[in-house]
Parts: sequence; structure tokens; C-alpha cells
Amino acid sequence: MSNKVNIRRLATGVPGLDNLLGGGLPEFSFNLIAGTPGSGKTTLAHQIMFSLADTENRALYFTVLGEPALKMLRYQQQYAFFDVNKVNESIRFVNLSAELLEGQFDSVLSRIVEEVEAYAPSFVFVDSFRSVAQSASDEGMGVSGLKRFIQELGMQMTSWQATTFLIGEYQSTESESSPIFTVADGILWLSQNLHRNSAVRKMQVIKMRGQSQATGLHTFRVSDKGIEVYPRAIIKEGTDIKTTIADSDMGKRVPIGVTDLEEMLGGGLPAGYSVLVVGPSGSGKTILATQFLSEGVRRGETGVIAAFEKSPSQLLSKDLNEMVTNGKVGVINTRSLELSIDQTLHDMIEMINQMQASRVVIDSLSGFELALAPEFQEDFRGSLYRMVAELTNLGVTILMTSELEDRYTDLRFSPFGSAFLADAIIVQRYIELEGVFKRVISVVKVRGSDHSKDIRLFDITDSGIIIGETLSNYGGIMSGRPTHEM
Amino acid sequence: METGCLLRHQIIENLISQHTDDVADAAIHRWELLAAKIISIIGEGGFNALYTRSAFLARSTFSWLPANPLSTHTDARFADLKKSMEGQTPALASAADRLLLITLTDILASLIGEDLTTRILRSAWGNDAASVSGQESKHEQ
Repeated sequence: MSNKVNIRRLATGVPGLDNLLGGGLPEFSFNLIAGTPGSGKTTLAHQIMFSLADTENRALYFTVLGEPALKMLRYQQQYAFFDVNKVNESIRFVNLSAELLEGQFDSVLSRIVEEVEAYAPSFVFVDSFRSVAQSASDEGMGVSGLKRFIQELGMQMTSWQATTFLIGEYQSTESESSPIFTVADGILWLSQNLHRNSAVRKMQVIKMRGQSQATGLHTFRVSDKGIEVYPRAIIKEGTDIKTTIADSDMGKRVPIGVTDLEEMLGGGLPAGYSVLVVGPSGSGKTILATQFLSEGVRRGETGVIAAFEKSPSQLLSKDLNEMVTNGKVGVINTRSLELSIDQTLHDMIEMINQMQASRVVIDSLSGFELALAPEFQEDFRGSLYRMVAELTNLGVTILMTSELEDRYTDLRFSPFGSAFLADAIIVQRYIELEGVFKRVISVVKVRGSDHSKDIRLFDITDSGIIIGETLSNYGGIMSGRPTHEM
Repeated sequence: METGCLLRHQIIENLISQHTDDVADAAIHRWELLAAKIISIIGEGGFNALYTRSAFLARSTFSWLPANPLSTHTDARFADLKKSMEGQTPALASAADRLLLITLTDILASLIGEDLTTRILRSAWGNDAASVSGQESKHEQ
């Protein structure tokens, strides 16, 4: 058995944050929560504190100059996590402004140590640490004095077995020169970015000693419940996307509710595949998507739909509405126009797990792109790739629709160049035949499977999609104006 | 909500009614305990701001209450208040003390909520306040 130290990882209670930290917060670590004004530092600190503190593991929250403690208590109570019953029992607020005004680090440090000795907390928070640092420079104590103070504080808190958080307001440019960034075991950086009138909150774990954190920027949301982090979907190295499909399901075909189309696909859609249904407006993409879900429900399966085309209140069709009302299909709320892909993915995964869904519909990618905050629209293709990989990794079968206006001069399957990420592609198209608009359907691709190459007419009736005859005696169909070949 | 029903008001009422002789001494002792507790949480500046506003409001009923800012010396923080109370009858001094305490805690409760304010009072005044809450919970059962 190994005698190496085993660092306990604490669950922060902030949804998504533990994943970002690499499995939780290391016990007795000395951390910095830093960021720009209004980025949510104090809220994050409070949420972690109220989640972790109990009568056995108490918390001390030191307030220094900066946000007045009175206001902090007032506003933080608006969040659901603020449990008044924990105040005094397991959480104590202590104001350090008097000690700071004396301008001596020694008196600030000795007061902190005095309070820690008296209350024996497991968690210590100092908000805002920036005030302490500012005071140091005002008093001419310089960086070396501040560094000594931070090292002393870090050492004291660790020996008191307290997991510590310093909260500070920093601009990114000055962070490198601050000694706290060197001394801290963990650094959480919070920011609020403006992009074309849309604000997006992001979090980055710059460092977390002793464990592998999720790198890069991750979006988070602040609601009345507090902070919720949406770790960015990252395709793990060596992950075989199909590995999560149970062996028994390998080679299994998923019926999609249109018998003739199933035949065209080579016997249904392979389980765990993502299929892209491409076509112009009104060609019947949503109807096909609804039939896909409906067929699942008929077979005792559940589904999830992210409907970006219409608001949930005017839910698509009667069939879909009925499936949602009966709890067979879950709907992702997509009303906001400030979404991040990761937030949507998070909501979808949560609902897929909750409903144990096996079929997922994204209707449509065009609507999805519009619903995203502008910042995420720029990398839509890349994000979509990660999202589809993450979803198919769950073993669900995905049907995505994509609106593409008919172009009779070139052959494209997606406005985002996203066709490559789908395992199968079904194309719907309008053609003119003997002076009448007709719809045609074709299966362009089914990865690793034989499929029909036919172009067939189809109609939309009250009972759904009816596949018609193959246009075998026509040429130039994709030009929109087929000619009869004898 | 009728203010007389508030647990916080009952705590204050109960503590004041316990002392009918040495009114000024008892009042200042309570104020010192309360100030220490509030200052430890929101700082001296925060407490002074609350007290100054409360005294301003209470002076419309008891004009003899001091208008001076609180002393910066912890030992003499309420020296002016004590002096002004000693110049009044015990009943008047008690009434002013009650109004001042209720006004200050009302303002505090409007900012940080009734629950937290009551917790601060209990924490500052210890068993005296706790016994009232005990009675209260018995009544509620």
C-alpha cells in the first residue's frame, strides 16, 4: 500500500465547477478567486462557503475594505444558497477594516490568526484581498512586504488545516506581477466579456496544484440559484465515439417511423449515429424529426428535443405536443438568445440522463446558431463538432435538421460545412416536374453502411411522410428541372 | 406586519424591562455589546452610519439625545449617550433607549433581513436574548 499523501477533494457545491477543477477542491489548499469587477467573485466564494460549511467544518469570512459588508450580506441573501441558519453556527463574518486602516500587515495577520484560533474554521475567506494589496502599496511596503505577508498567511492557514480563498479584483495585465499569483495553489479567474452587445461570463482555472484541471475558458451563468458552470465540451484523447454503445446495440438499426426511408437507409438508422436532415424551408424536416421521436415513443423509448425554430409555447405539432405532455419527450428551453453551446449541451445531457432518452432532435442547426450569443456564433462549426461528439458518446441517436435553400448550381449539404460531422445525411429538395413543385428525398450518406442512392418523390400527408416512386427515368434532378429520359 | 409581534422587538422589550434602577448603565452595557458584535461583522464605519441615522430619527421624539458623532475610543463610544440618559428620569431614558435600539435594528433588518438581525442580537446579548427566543418558540408550539 502506498504511503504517499492522499489529498482529499472537496465538492464545491457549484454545479460544473468540480469538473473544471479536476475532481473537486484540494483540501487545505490556498486559492485565489480573481477577476474583473462584477464578474461574480464574491458570489462564487459565498456559494462555495455555504455549500461546504457545517457545524463540524466551519467557515470564517473576513471582509476588508471594498464592498461594504452590510451590502454584501444584503445582496448575497438573494441567492438560494444563502442559508441564514448557518450564520454564527457554522459561518462567521468578520470585518478587518480597522486593522487594515492601521496599515500594518502584521496587525491584519495577527487578527486573522486570532479569529482562526478562536473559531477553528476549516474554511477561510478574505474578501477583498485586493484591498490588502492596495494598502501595502499605499503604505510603501512594496511587493516584497506583500509577498512575505501572503506567504506567512498561506503557511499559517495551511498549518491550521484551513482551506483558504483570497478574493481579489484584478485586471489581467497586472496579474503577472502580483506575488499572490505565484504563491497560490489554485487560481480561478472570472471574467465578463462583451461581444456585439452581448455579455458572456467565463471562468478559467489558471492553476490547481496537484491535479489536472480542465483548461481553457468555460462559460457560467449567475441566476437566483447562484453560479452554474458549463465545462466546455472537450473530446478526450483516445475516446472512441462509438465505445459507449453497448455491444448488444452494435449493428442495431433504429426505426425512424417512415418504412420506405428506413429501407433507403439500409434498414433504419444505425444506433448511436447522428443524422443530418437537410432541406429548404417547408420541405418537411421537422415532420420527419417528429416522426423519428414518435416512432421511439411507440416502441417505449423516450426522447429529447431542442427546438430552436419556435418557442416552446407554440410547440410545433399536435403529435409532439402530446408526447411532451405525456412526459415521453423532454423539451430544452431555448428561448434565450444569449446561449452558449456548452450551456445547451449541459441542459441536453441533463435531460437525456433524467429521461433516459435514446433519441435526440436538434431542430434546427440554423435556429441554434441564431440563439447563441454572437461570440459563440463565430466558432459554431467547431463547437458543434464537440457537441455532437459528446452527445453520440452518450449512446443516443441524434437527428439534426438544417435549413439550406435550394441551389441548383452546386451541391451542398449544410450552410456550416457541418455535413462532415454527421454519420448519415438525408437531403430533401424541391423540384419542378411537369409544371408542379414536388418534393424529393435522397439518402446521401450512411457511414459504414450500404444505402439506396435513389432520388424519390415524397409527400407530406396528415399521417406523415409518404415516400413515392423513384425518379429513375429522369436526369438533371438536382438542377431542379429534371428532364424525362426515355 | 405588526411590529410588536417581532421576536427582535420582544427581545429588546424584555431586556429593557429587566432594569428599572440603573437604566443608563444597563443601556450602555447593552449598546457596547451590540456595537462590538455589529462592528465585528460590518466594521466601525458601518455601525457608525447606522447609529447616526437612528439617533437622527430618534431625536424627533427625544430631542435631548446627543447629536455628536460617536467617539472613536471604544471605551468612550457611548459616553455622550450615557450622559444624556443620566439627565432624564429612568422612564424617559428607557423609552429613548428602546426607540433607539428598535430604530437601529429596524434599519439593519431592512438591509440584511430579520433573521440575520435577530441572530446578531442573540449573539451580542447571549442568554438574555436567547431566553426570550426560548419563550417564543414555546408560544409557537
